[in-house]
Amino acid sequence: MLISAKNKIRLYSQLDPYSLSEKEKKNFFQKEINLLTAHHYKNSKEYRQILNFMSYKLKNNSLKNIPFLPARLFKEHDLSSVPKKKILKTLVSSGTTGNAPSRIILDNETANNQRKVLSKIISTILGSQRLPMLIIDQNPNLTDRHTFNARATAIYGFSTFGKNHTYLLNKNNEIDYILLNDFLKKFGNKFFFIFGFTSLVFENLLKKLSTHLLKFNFKNGILLHGGGWKKMEKIKINNKIFKEKLFKKLKLDNIYNYYGLVEQTGSIFLECKKCSCFVTSIFSDILIRDKHFNIVQNGNKGFIHLFSLLPKSYPGHSILTEDIGEIVNNINCECHIKGTRFLVHGRAEQSEIRGCSDI
Amino acid sequence: MISNKNKIEFLVGNKTINKLTTKPFEKVICDFLEELSLELNKAPESKKYPDIKTLAFWCRKANINRLRNFFLNNETRLGLGLIFHITPSNIPTNFAYSLIFGLITGNSNIVKVPSKKFEQIEIICKSINKILKKNFESVRKMISIVRYSNNDNFTKKISSECDARLIWGGDNSIKNIRKFTLNLRALDIAFSDRYSFCVIKASEILKLNSNEIKRLSERFYNDTYLVDQNACSSPHLVLWLGNQADKAKHKFWKSLKEVVNDKYHLTEAASIDKYSLLCSNIINLKNIKNYKMYDNFIYTTSLKKLDKNTHHLRGKWGFFYEYNINNLNKIKNYINKKYQTLTYFGLNKEILKNFILKNQPKGIDRIVPIGQALDINFFWDGYDINKILTRVIDIK
Repeated sequence: MLISAKNKIRLYSQLDPYSLSEKEKKNFFQKEINLLTAHHYKNSKEYRQILNFMSYKLKNNSLKNIPFLPARLFKEHDLSSVPKKKILKTLVSSGTTGNAPSRIILDNETANNQRKVLSKIISTILGSQRLPMLIIDQNPNLTDRHTFNARATAIYGFSTFGKNHTYLLNKNNEIDYILLNDFLKKFGNKFFFIFGFTSLVFENLLKKLSTHLLKFNFKNGILLHGGGWKKMEKIKINNKIFKEKLFKKLKLDNIYNYYGLVEQTGSIFLECKKCSCFVTSIFSDILIRDKHFNIVQNGNKGFIHLFSLLPKSYPGHSILTEDIGEIVNNINCECHIKGTRFLVHGRAEQSEIRGCSDI
Repeated sequence: MISNKNKIEFLVGNKTINKLTTKPFEKVICDFLEELSLELNKAPESKKYPDIKTLAFWCRKANINRLRNFFLNNETRLGLGLIFHITPSNIPTNFAYSLIFGLITGNSNIVKVPSKKFEQIEIICKSINKILKKNFESVRKMISIVRYSNNDNFTKKISSECDARLIWGGDNSIKNIRKFTLNLRALDIAFSDRYSFCVIKASEILKLNSNEIKRLSERFYNDTYLVDQNACSSPHLVLWLGNQADKAKHKFWKSLKEVVNDKYHLTEAASIDKYSLLCSNIINLKNIKNYKMYDNFIYTTSLKKLDKNTHHLRGKWGFFYEYNINNLNKIKNYINKKYQTLTYFGLNKEILKNFILKNQPKGIDRIVPIGQALDINFFWDGYDINKILTRVIDIK
C-alpha cells in the first residue's frame, strides 16, 4: 500500500535539510523513493509500460536498483501521474539538453511541495526573512516571454525569497546604474539577495559593470547563481576564479552556486561555502553511473543520476541526467552540513557524426 | 566566371567553370586516383580517421582496375560534361566518392561539401591539392570543391549550367535543391534517405567455430558501428531465418559484443541516446516484444511483427531491431522503395536472386554479404553510375 507522501514531506520539512547523517537518511529515503516508484507505476501509464517492459519488480529496492528515466524523455513525452482535471500547470523549460523543451506536469500538491522545499533549502543561506533582491537580468514582464521561459521560470521561482525586487538590466539589456545605486544606497548596508544565471552574472557583474559608476559596494550581498552551463564552458572559467574575481571587484563574499534539474524543481543542490562542492539535502540523493550505467566508486566520474522526493504528479523522482559529475569522498570540510558532496563537470561527451542518413 | 561575393570557399579549384570531358577510365584519371590513394595513406593526419583509410583503399590502383573490368565494352562513351555534386551534411568522406564517380566517368565536377568543417574534408582536399600542384594539369581543370551556405544564386547558376546533378541527402534537402531548374538535357540523380536490413540464417550461425563467428561479427561491426549505423546501407533490422533462432542470436550478439568492446569507442552521449530510444520505443511502439542489452554496447529489440512501417525503425550507435522468419518470401509485402541494402549470411546467392525475381519487391537495390554494406561501387541505389554519367556515341 502506498502511504501518501504528502504528510511525509511536511514532516521532513520540519527538519533542517542538512541535519541527517548518511545512515539516518538512508532508510527513510529509500522507503520514500520506493513508495514513489509504486505510486508512479500505479498512476502513470507510460511509466508502467517502461517498468513492465524492463520486468521491474516493485519491492523495497536499494537506490541503485531503482529504475531511472533519461532526462530526455520529458522532452519527448508528456509524462503524468495525475488525472487531467488535477493538472495545475505544465512547466515548459529549455532545461539543460538539446533544443526541445522539457514538459513537466504539476498538480497543486507537487507544486506546493516544490515551493516549500525550495524555501527550506534557500533559507539555509538567506535566513527566514525576505531580503531585498537584486536580479541580474531583465524584468521578464518587459521581454518576449517565448524566448525567455527558462530564465523567467527561475526568476519567478526565486523571487518569492526576496522583496523590493530590482532588475539590474533595462529592456535594452544595459546596466541601469541609477536603479542599481539607488538599490545599494537603500539596502546595501544590510544583507541583500542577488540572483542570476551564472553566465549573466559573469557577463554583467564581472565584465560589463563599471566600478567607476558604482557609488556603493556589494559586500553585504548574498549571491545565488546557477544554470547557463553551456556558455560558461565556452568561457572556461572555473568556480574558484569566478568567486575570486567577484570578491576582488565587488567585495562580494557570500557566493553560492546551485545545481538542479527542471525535472526535479525544488530539491536543488547548493554549494558548500567552504569546500565548494554541491551537497545533497534530505530531499535528494545522487548516484554516479558509468557508460554502462554501472555504479562507479566515489571519486570517479560518470553520469549524474538524481533522486528527489518531490515529484508526485509526474514520474521524475529518479532521473538519469546527461551531466557528468563525481561524488567527493570523505572530504574534511570544516562546515557541519550533512549530505553527499559532489561536483558537476559538465555535459556528457558528444559523438562525432558519422554516416549519411542522419537528416 | 562566378562572382565570389557570397562567400564561396574554394577548397580545390577556382572560379573558372570547365566542361572538359574524357572517355571513362581515362589513363590520366586512373593515375591521379592511384596517386591520391598513396598520398592519403601517407598523410600523417589521416591516421586517426578510418574513413580516410577506407577511401584510400577504395581508390587504390587494383580496385580501380577491377571497376574498369566491369565496365569494358565496345560502346564509344564520353563524360556528359559538368557534374554538380551536392553532398550530404554528415558523412565526411562521401563527397570524395561522389567526385571520383564524376571523374572516372570522364566529367568535370563542382562538388559542394557540407558547411560543417569536418577535418577529413580538409585532409582529403589538402591531398588533392598537393597532387594537382605537381602534375595532372588536365585533371586540375576538372575539379572544383566548394563550401558555401545560403547562396541560392550559386546553386541556381551551377544547376542551370551542369549536365547532371547528384544530390545526396535527406528527402527535404533533395526537394529543396530540386527547386532549382536544370537545363533541358541535364539529369537529376538523387541518393535519398534509405533503409537497410540484414538476413541471417540461424542454423548456419550455429555451425561456425569461434574464429569464424568472430570474423563474421567483425564484418557486421564494419557495416554498422564503423559509421554508427548512420550510413544508408547500414542495417537497422536483423531478420533471423529458420529454426534455432534464439540460440543463434545469443551466439552472434555475444560475439559481436566482444568485438565492439575491443574496437569501439562508446561515447557517453551514445549510451544515453540508446537508452532514451529504448524508453521512447516502449512508450510509442506497440510492436515491440522484448529487449536485450549487452552492456550499453548493443541493444536488441524484438518485434512482434513486420509491417509497412518497419522502415521507420532506426537504431544508432548499435541499436538493432530483430524478427524471426521462417520463409523469406513472406517479407516481400513489407519491402517498399525505402529499402536499399540487404546484407546476408548463410544463404546462397541463387536463393536471393530467385527471391527477387519471384517476388519482385518494390525496394532493395543491393544484396551483399555481411561486411560489404559500405562498399560503394558503380551500382548504387539502383543506378548504374557508369552509364548514367556518360553518353554513348553511336557509330556505325
